[in-house]
Amino acid sequence: MTLRPGDALAEFVIDSVSAAAMKDWAVFLADPNPIHLDPAVVKAKGLGDRVINQGPANVAYVINMLLLAVPGAAIAALDAKFLDNAYAGDRLIAGGSVTALTAAQADCDIWVRAEGRGQIISGTATLTLPHA
Amino acid sequence: MSGTTDLPPAPEVAGISLDGSDPYTISAEQNAALCRSTGVAPAADGSAHPIYYYIATQVAMGKTVAGLCAACEFDVEDGPMMGSSGVRFAGALRVGVPYQVSGEILGLTRKRSRKLGVMDVLEYRLRLHAPDGVAIAETTNVWVLPRPALA
Repeated sequence: MTLRPGDALAEFVIDSVSAAAMKDWAVFLADPNPIHLDPAVVKAKGLGDRVINQGPANVAYVINMLLLAVPGAAIAALDAKFLDNAYAGDRLIAGGSVTALTAAQADCDIWVRAEGRGQIISGTATLTLPHA
Repeated sequence: MSGTTDLPPAPEVAGISLDGSDPYTISAEQNAALCRSTGVAPAADGSAHPIYYYIATQVAMGKTVAGLCAACEFDVEDGPMMGSSGVRFAGALRVGVPYQVSGEILGLTRKRSRKLGVMDVLEYRLRLHAPDGVAIAETTNVWVLPRPALA
């Protein structure tokens, strides 16, 4: 595929953040923080009424977006800032755009947006392009 | 008051080692489950999902999440929050490879926030080393540790 600065990257959509997947991620991360597992704990902490997705899972959606938008590319660098939580049931859209390009690499802005609430992640990434 | 001169200093934690002891191996089974949980199929070439930069370093660093918080005199039950995560890859992470973790705490800075009140900002760096010693990934993470008792 041919990239140009300013190009939008194809979005990656999570139709509904899964509470069941959060239980799996608690195992993956060896981190049984109850805000990811028990909505009563989330409510008691004043953080809402639905379990909160693990931050690295939200970063994984960005990675999926990048690797699907630019087939054959590899991630050289990624910087993600966490702006807000993603909750069970949220519809998330990961996207980005190309900000600079060489024959070997593409620099990109990246983001994840929770439908109806705004950005939950923003940042940048550098892709090593295929055949570079 | 917007400064922090009226607050006790944050604990001195810069330089504390986070070197792991046991290696971390990404299993093909777990990688497949993780990929599916994020809405994609696992790669067929033996590469692992790149998010294992975060998972492997967290699981195999020299402290648990609770232990890292405790080093900062912070109770994990009080809710650490992720501020940012950055990573630099020197190559692809692969299933079945035993990676060793090295790392250290870079700093803990006490701040005031309009949204969170008093908080400590923890910055730490971790590396994943392949069996030949080469660092295949290096991550720098920032956690926010709210300190409501100091507000």
